Amino acid sequence: MNYFLQDVYSVFWREIKHFVDQKMRIMVSIIQPFIWLSLMGNLMSGLTNNPFAMMALGGVKYLDFMTPGVIVMTALFGGIFGGVSIVMDRRFGYLNKMLVSPISRSAIPLGKMLSSALIAGFQGLMIIVVARLMGVNFATGILGIMLILFLVMSFSLAMAGISLALAARLKNMETLFAVVNFLTMPLMFTSNAMFPTQTMPNWLATIAKWNPLSYVVTPLRTLVISGWNWTEIVQGFVYIIILVFLTLYLATTQFKKSIA
Amino acid sequence: MKVIEVNKLSKVYPGGIEAIRGISFDVEEGEIFGFLGPNGAGKTTTMMMLTTLIKPTSGSAKVCGYDVLKNPNPVRLSIGYVSQDLAVDDSLTGWENLYLQGRFYHIPKDTMEKRIRELLELVHLADRADERVENYSGGMRKRLDIAMGLIHRPKVLFLDEPTLGLDVQTRQDIWSYIARIREENNMTIFLTTHYMEEADNICDRIAIIDHGEIKAIDTPKNLKENLGGDLITLSIKQNNVEVINLFFESIRNIEYVRDIKKSDGRYTIVASKGEKLIPLVFNIAHEKDIEITSIILKQPTLDDVYIAYTGRELRDEEGSREDNRRMDRILRRSR
Repeated sequence: MNYFLQDVYSVFWREIKHFVDQKMRIMVSIIQPFIWLSLMGNLMSGLTNNPFAMMALGGVKYLDFMTPGVIVMTALFGGIFGGVSIVMDRRFGYLNKMLVSPISRSAIPLGKMLSSALIAGFQGLMIIVVARLMGVNFATGILGIMLILFLVMSFSLAMAGISLALAARLKNMETLFAVVNFLTMPLMFTSNAMFPTQTMPNWLATIAKWNPLSYVVTPLRTLVISGWNWTEIVQGFVYIIILVFLTLYLATTQFKKSIA
Repeated sequence: MKVIEVNKLSKVYPGGIEAIRGISFDVEEGEIFGFLGPNGAGKTTTMMMLTTLIKPTSGSAKVCGYDVLKNPNPVRLSIGYVSQDLAVDDSLTGWENLYLQGRFYHIPKDTMEKRIRELLELVHLADRADERVENYSGGMRKRLDIAMGLIHRPKVLFLDEPTLGLDVQTRQDIWSYIARIREENNMTIFLTTHYMEEADNICDRIAIIDHGEIKAIDTPKNLKENLGGDLITLSIKQNNVEVINLFFESIRNIEYVRDIKKSDGRYTIVASKGEKLIPLVFNIAHEKDIEITSIILKQPTLDDVYIAYTGRELRDEEGSREDNRRMDRILRRSR
């Protein structure tokens, strides 16, 4: 058990090293939410500056409404590409280097998933800082922000798990990218991340209601806009915890199968 | 003591490709054992089974007494593996690469630093340790890669094509490091290589593998001698056929001689110990009053052995697509 934690940390350490190393990637992760919020936010605030829209948005500015959406979206994209690193490791022989060592097999996907979570936490914090500077009000304060970060990190961890499970079986970068893109885009735009379900046509609103992404956006939005509405927050937590355990299981079993 | 024991080992890949067809061999402690064979012969597959990376279909293999299938973790702790992929992490420094490798092997913190410093000294990378591997040359990467394989002081070191894609100078350096490492630690080394001269110079024993079967296994010297031996080609100045016949009759009676052939007015003697035969030939020539105008001793190279057993030359092979792609990658990375 002691060795297991050490192994997880070793894999995690390497991934974080890679992230810190890519100055460009860090810059982008700070600038991107800023662009999203300022462009999309400004564009939409003109459109939503009427009583009906205000009602659909829960009585707040569009910027406040979209901030949780942007946080979840960033975590989704960050996490879902987590599998890329395992394909790279396989291609460059580094995976075999790890596998000939006595390192725990499950530690490899787990370490990578945890690194995705930490990076998502960092990016989430950046978005919150940018949003706060742009005048977004966080209804639940510091405690709420900490909960938001926890939820978002768990979500990214789960997405990385799905990605790693796919990458373990696909083994090929091009196919992985195709599948991941196929999954993320529709997932994004059929959820309530960017637009309120009240303004959607019925069929889309139904999809949005069942879209797994909405389950994460909803508690986050509650924490940002409405405050301590416990039913929604607890529901979100339960959902995320289940998702995390499911994807952990999926990623480790698929990874072990792929190296057997 | 036998460090590697392989018994009727075979590997069938999904799809029915028989990569290895029941091979058996042993490697003694302290030996440098070379695996020679064309692409797709099963060299890397064998190595991957011995290093616990893939599972054998049938048969058994033991490394340091531990079964690779039933007891992989003790095997992993006693072996070092340097693949042909140059698998170093480009975005980490040399020191960080070794540190991470040490962590994978659970080396305690207090010995880690000392171990890393020793290895960096050994492969002459100490002054570049804090630089990112991105900036290393191909030879430096390979040296770092080998050092990484040694971090836990393995009893057996597996080297898959350790000099692939490197220039002559670097290749020589790599071999001298390997020789030193082996001497200092009494390590057993199992390697595959494409370069015949290198295999000949460094290996204590060689196995020639083709189509998943071991065709021959022996010391390089014996392998060459078993081909029939050295070739001595000589021209003589003497027109009397009687005298010539008598001369070769005497030579034929020497124990080393296996065969004598005549072509283009020159004579070729096939013999097991050419260097010992030459003075005897001169003595007999002197006795029989025959003047030797030229004499050439040619020893068969491992190339000849290789061709004899696999029926093709190592150089003019068409590799599989994956092999070519892998080669491209390695060359690109070793700049």
